Amino acid sequence: MSPQYYFDHAASAPRRDEVVDAMAPWSHGVVGNPSGSHRAARAARRAVEEARDEVAAFIGARASEVIFTGGGTESCHLGVVGVALHHRRHFDATSVVVSQVEHHAVLDAAATLSRDFPDVKVHYVSVDEDGVVDLDELAQLCSATTAVVSVMTANNETGVCQPLDAITSTVFAHVPGGAPVHTDAIAAAPWLHLPTVTATAGLVSICAHKIGGPVNSGALVVREGISLDALVPGGGQERGRRGGTVDVAAAVGLAAAVRATARDLTEVHERVTDLQLRLATAMAFLPGAKVTAVGALRLPGTVHVTFDGLASDELLFLLDQRGVAAAAAASCSSGAAQASHVLSAMGVAPERARGAVRLSMGAETTEADVDALILIVADVVRHLRAEG
Amino acid sequence: MDVLVAMSGGVDSSVAAGRLAEAGHRVVGATLKLWGGESDAGCCSVADVDDARRVAQVLGIEHHVFNFAEEFERQVVDHFVDAHARGLTPNPCIECNRHVKFDLLIDRAHRLGFDAVATGHHARIVTREDGLALARGVDARKDQSYVLGFLTASRLAGLMLPIGELTKPEVRAEAARLGLRTWDKPDSQDVCFIESRHGRDGFLRSRLTLTEAAVVDRETNDVVGHVPAAELVTVGQRRGVGVGADGEPRYVSRVDVAAGRVEVGRREQVEITRVLLDEATMTFARRALGDGDRVMAQWSAHGTAQTATLRATPRWHLELDQPARPVAPGQTLVFYSSDEPEIVEGTATICAP
Repeated sequence: MSPQYYFDHAASAPRRDEVVDAMAPWSHGVVGNPSGSHRAARAARRAVEEARDEVAAFIGARASEVIFTGGGTESCHLGVVGVALHHRRHFDATSVVVSQVEHHAVLDAAATLSRDFPDVKVHYVSVDEDGVVDLDELAQLCSATTAVVSVMTANNETGVCQPLDAITSTVFAHVPGGAPVHTDAIAAAPWLHLPTVTATAGLVSICAHKIGGPVNSGALVVREGISLDALVPGGGQERGRRGGTVDVAAAVGLAAAVRATARDLTEVHERVTDLQLRLATAMAFLPGAKVTAVGALRLPGTVHVTFDGLASDELLFLLDQRGVAAAAAASCSSGAAQASHVLSAMGVAPERARGAVRLSMGAETTEADVDALILIVADVVRHLRAEG
Repeated sequence: MDVLVAMSGGVDSSVAAGRLAEAGHRVVGATLKLWGGESDAGCCSVADVDDARRVAQVLGIEHHVFNFAEEFERQVVDHFVDAHARGLTPNPCIECNRHVKFDLLIDRAHRLGFDAVATGHHARIVTREDGLALARGVDARKDQSYVLGFLTASRLAGLMLPIGELTKPEVRAEAARLGLRTWDKPDSQDVCFIESRHGRDGFLRSRLTLTEAAVVDRETNDVVGHVPAAELVTVGQRRGVGVGADGEPRYVSRVDVAAGRVEVGRREQVEITRVLLDEATMTFARRALGDGDRVMAQWSAHGTAQTATLRATPRWHLELDQPARPVAPGQTLVFYSSDEPEIVEGTATICAP
């Protein structure tokens, strides 16, 4: 059921028709198991390998470096925990370094690892008021026992981009022999040219549904020379790195999504950047409003705003009533808006952080949509401030 | 009317929502996210949110989750810990009702355009000559008017209590009729933020350094035992303080955390006929009660109300008709009408003598 104004692309992007079309033949009737040897199996296998080539090109990797996974969370988990476990076993590397603003897919993976393996210590690099990683602190946290470092390409809540090249060179300068650097490129994938931006990262995670593909379909790039332990080994698929029958439809869907994204990347980036400026400027004028990290390098699609003294729950409720889909921080499993760990790490005051709203656009967002949204948000804010 | 129903995921609030929807109101359900920590007490956990959400879906109403965790932590949990640290016996469910459910939630409902807030409490709102009054729920064993005793007539005006007229079995039957999966869900038992395997003891231990105390017989002044935590001892309690040398049970008459001293005595020695009230906490639902007024006083959630007379001097207190076990300072006392014992007249917090 489509809301009138969909400003929650960062949570999930509308499923593209070309994705649905590409997946259809692989979603009914006989779909061979790609691991088999007969004709149907080979056909399925071929579809997977063609998809793999496309995903590899999209991220800037070799096909052999691409692992298909069941989604972004799994990719991140594999990229952090799979790598850490391997390096702990082979090199006694027991330190994991992550930024304070990582998505819970990374934070919880690291925390669980440390819980299950008490010798593993997780170190959290702080960020500045824009949410950008402190490189000096990163340098200090790197050591000879660093198993893996994980810093996202861009933040899913605020859209702020991290200086990946500087991060990877810092890691290589301060870990003897270097350490694998994983980057969660899930939020960045709709907007940035990943081959350029993530070239120096050894591990890159993406997922399909942020770029108009299906849910529970993702990929992890593991560049040559980096080894990891499979989280789910059984079956040996994906060169022993991710067990389970490869989901042909999911892989094909991901490939169709990356194909469409790559094709339109430049045009969409330019057009939405204009919309971002339009929307952010209007938001900044609302009483008590502050556009988050407005001076930092950000993804074009995200306009993150905090409204001092207001509550996200109330803003989102009233926006929803008026046909606007938006979000606050990450939702937890209960569906309640959580206090954002990202805003907290950035030093945003709690009274302001409580009134956070993330408006995220996509390829199909129009100027008319933005103009309508501006009026609705202004009205909602005016109402809440009057009733407050 | 546009009604916001607080849905805990339990059968009572499920049926409250169902009844209002069937009556033709525009109902929206909201589950409050209050406690972020570990808990299995059966209220407002993620599983409970799932139940509330599913019930809402079956009823065809919107469901939202509102995060009041910060306020809950400050005004309910911190208050609970603080009260215990001072040797008082708090009632966190009442604090939650007072500050979160019937304050923050009502304000929010107003801002979001609702005409009323409804809950699944076993209590009723009735009309009397001088205005609205809160009355006990029809099922005496489940009556929750005690935890709502602080509500004034003006607050009652914006409130709906759809299941107060039903007995618990009737509530469950209604839920089954509506096809709600919570129809046979057990009622939540203890405080929502305390895990049953740790109990109050474990919870407080993680937040306070607990004070060991000597148990002293008030008659002989002999030290008759020790307790590991004075903060966990409740005035009036019999459990855990053993029996006296004469084989008769002892009851706690006073707890002094600072001095590390718990005083006990035989029933006849410690029972009271007078309950001191903290004037600052006295609230009346409609008209103020005064010196000499007769009341029925209840000081625990499922206790029996005692007949008493309200007195103002030297300080506000109740003269009980019959002696009672000592009551714990910090406990809430609710006044029910002596003419109509199911009607709530007001509330006050008990203070130490």
